[in-house]
Amino acid sequence: MSLTRFFVAAILTVALAATAGCGRREEPPTLRLALETEPTTLDPAYAVDYSSGLITSLIHANLVRYDPDGRIIPDLARSWDISADGTLYTFHLAGSRFSNGKALSAADVVFTFRRLIDPEIRSPRWWVLEPVAGAAAVRRGGEWGGLGIEAADDSTVCIRLERPTAHFLSLVSMPAAGIVTAGEISARGEDYGRMPCGSGPWMLSAWGDGDQLLLVRNPYFEGAAPVLDGISLRIIPEPMTRIAEFEVGNLDILEVPRAELDRWRSAGVTLMHEEELRVVYIGLNNERPLFSDIRVRRALNRAIDVETIIARVLFGAGRRARGVIPPGLRRTRVPDERYPYDPEGARKLLAEAGYPDGFEMELWQRENPEGGRVLESIQGYLAAVGIRAAIVTREWSAFKKAVEHGAADAFYLDWFADYPDPENFLAPLFHSANRGGGGNRTGYSDAAVDSLITAAGLCRDEGTRWELLAAAEEKIYHDAPWIFLWFPTRYELVSPRLKGYRMPVIFNGQRYLKVAI
Amino acid sequence: MLLRFVIKRILLLVPILFGVITVTFLLMYIVPGDPVLTMVGERYDQQTLEEIRHDLGLDKPLIIQYIDYIGRVARFDFGRSFITRRPVAETIRERFPRTLLLAFSAMCLAVVFGIGIGAIAAWGRMPWLGRSLMTFSLIGVSIPVFWLGLLLIYLFAIQLSILPPSGYGGGSLRYLILPALTLSFASMATIARVTRAGFLDVACEQFVRTARAKGLSERAVLGKHMFRNALIPVITIVGTDFGSYLSGSVLTESIFGWPGLGRFIVQAILKRDFPVIQGSVLFMAILFVFVNLVVDVSYGLIDPRVRLQGGRE
Repeated sequence: MSLTRFFVAAILTVALAATAGCGRREEPPTLRLALETEPTTLDPAYAVDYSSGLITSLIHANLVRYDPDGRIIPDLARSWDISADGTLYTFHLAGSRFSNGKALSAADVVFTFRRLIDPEIRSPRWWVLEPVAGAAAVRRGGEWGGLGIEAADDSTVCIRLERPTAHFLSLVSMPAAGIVTAGEISARGEDYGRMPCGSGPWMLSAWGDGDQLLLVRNPYFEGAAPVLDGISLRIIPEPMTRIAEFEVGNLDILEVPRAELDRWRSAGVTLMHEEELRVVYIGLNNERPLFSDIRVRRALNRAIDVETIIARVLFGAGRRARGVIPPGLRRTRVPDERYPYDPEGARKLLAEAGYPDGFEMELWQRENPEGGRVLESIQGYLAAVGIRAAIVTREWSAFKKAVEHGAADAFYLDWFADYPDPENFLAPLFHSANRGGGGNRTGYSDAAVDSLITAAGLCRDEGTRWELLAAAEEKIYHDAPWIFLWFPTRYELVSPRLKGYRMPVIFNGQRYLKVAI
Repeated sequence: MLLRFVIKRILLLVPILFGVITVTFLLMYIVPGDPVLTMVGERYDQQTLEEIRHDLGLDKPLIIQYIDYIGRVARFDFGRSFITRRPVAETIRERFPRTLLLAFSAMCLAVVFGIGIGAIAAWGRMPWLGRSLMTFSLIGVSIPVFWLGLLLIYLFAIQLSILPPSGYGGGSLRYLILPALTLSFASMATIARVTRAGFLDVACEQFVRTARAKGLSERAVLGKHMFRNALIPVITIVGTDFGSYLSGSVLTESIFGWPGLGRFIVQAILKRDFPVIQGSVLFMAILFVFVNLVVDVSYGLIDPRVRLQGGRE
């Protein structure tokens, strides 16, 4: 064969093969979603990342859960009673079944919760049940005898708390508290994370490794069955590739990267948006002498024109943070603006604090292109008041280690809600008991804030609780342990073939039951 | 002679792999980061962190960890991933064939089109074609994989809608074409340039003049005499590149959501998933060494002069 003939043949073969599979098959009505990362495990006790939590909570049901608006609604428990002193919760279970057909009883709930606390299990999420009487003692290796979790009968679970905990229902709605069954856990062993069995609306049908997960309807699901037959979750790490897949009609819902917003805003497609329950901030290491001076921390807040960064770098997809409670969770007044953009004022504050010529600092971030652009602009604003900030970029694991060990002067980070309650933005991030891994990575410690947050946790009256949390927030905003940046807005493109979809305020608030094609 | 050469090379594997194991092990502990931090997520207590660290043996002295690790490797026990708790060997078995498929297809494309383009460019009958092909290959060498991948997706998936933008599709050919083309591009261009240079080199050799002088047809001169001799440097490139196809497919795998080994390793590195990193790197090292061995042996098969030198060693 001559070279030319060989090439013509090669090209033709490839072209033929390429077009051969073009005829589209009829597929059953399936919701097609994309994930950026592959879930690590679907075992509720170990699911800590976004993908894992999301899918775990589609497969496992909880005692109670959130609706798309962020309200607590019944799930496995058709109702519940809370004692007058707020320490005894009695859950009345509706009859439900696991996806293997087994009936769910109170014993399964007790098993699940005991497993989560069990020191041998080493669940990083055991703290979800920390308010339960005796739980902390068990976790520390103490006696099981004092644990306040028991099954009164087959369909009643009683949980006694150590102290009143206003957000306890929020805690048991988290993916970690998804109910599992003892039989499957012991049968699957370490492989349970890839072969989960829950009582939620969906069950795992296939996990094509690294490629996609396929969920189908749980045939034993007792509630209103999902309209669709299944959900495919494709793992596509690249944002641009996800967009391409959406453009050719292979995906039904897509989170739009902010840099792409302008293009899609004018494209005449359904672009939904929702203010995320998330705050973006620069944490200042309050234990460093430099940032122990409140004047320096306030100067940094005044030095940066956050509104302009939101408009230019985030393409408008965010709201300036005055305080730490996202707009979606706010029932009280927004604190008055304390830190308007004021470079002159910032310079004056720095001079008062003894830094008339500014200082040098390190600003840490984890690897992330948008973060890079944000920090470069912040670097510019800081330079204008004489602060020479060096940006230090590390990948997540190294970043986290440095921040947790107080090795970073300041760090750019965000906090996602575990559950839609302002408590989740105050207690982990600012209570001095949560310093380090608990969420308070700045080392901020204020007795008044601690006692306000603690009091709010014990408070039985919702209105008063909100006021207490707002007071804690006001004090934090005043003390400026962070550079307060913004609350981001999430944008999603929705395929025209999809009906009945609503963006949830919390990631596990949408179970796609009413979504139709 | 060949057999002795091969055995000798296989024995050389032992110190090489030992070095790889040691360097990987040390690197992981030198580079900052902590797998347990990934395992516990955003909100955790110190006790759990330390208990997990203890379970994984990460609290032992480095030298003990190293000895434990060598012991496991000697038993071919790669362990389970810290993060997903899946056996590492199982994941490699599952993912490697996909990377191999991608790398092999890319290599075939690169070789077929690279040699073809190079040969046509060297041919000299149509100088304009040769020049444009060489310009094309210059672009090919310089183009970033990332950009090329997106460009191909835009062209073939969005504009022409003849190929899917991404995914594995159970290994079907439609899904393979774009990633394979992307991965092959740089190497295709290199091969084209080397082939052209090779052809131009041998064109001046005496045996070619002799072949022409004895009245052989141009096709016979080109196909029989020049082709084989111009091919030697190409084999070197293919051999060394094949290793980088396997490891360098990471970007391509990310762009096209191809669930291969490359992406898996990068994920593991980012999460400091030690057993996965150790197992995969070791696996890749063994593979790399073997590919090089095959390349060296194949020199001998194509060029007897190399074989002779190999024998005298």
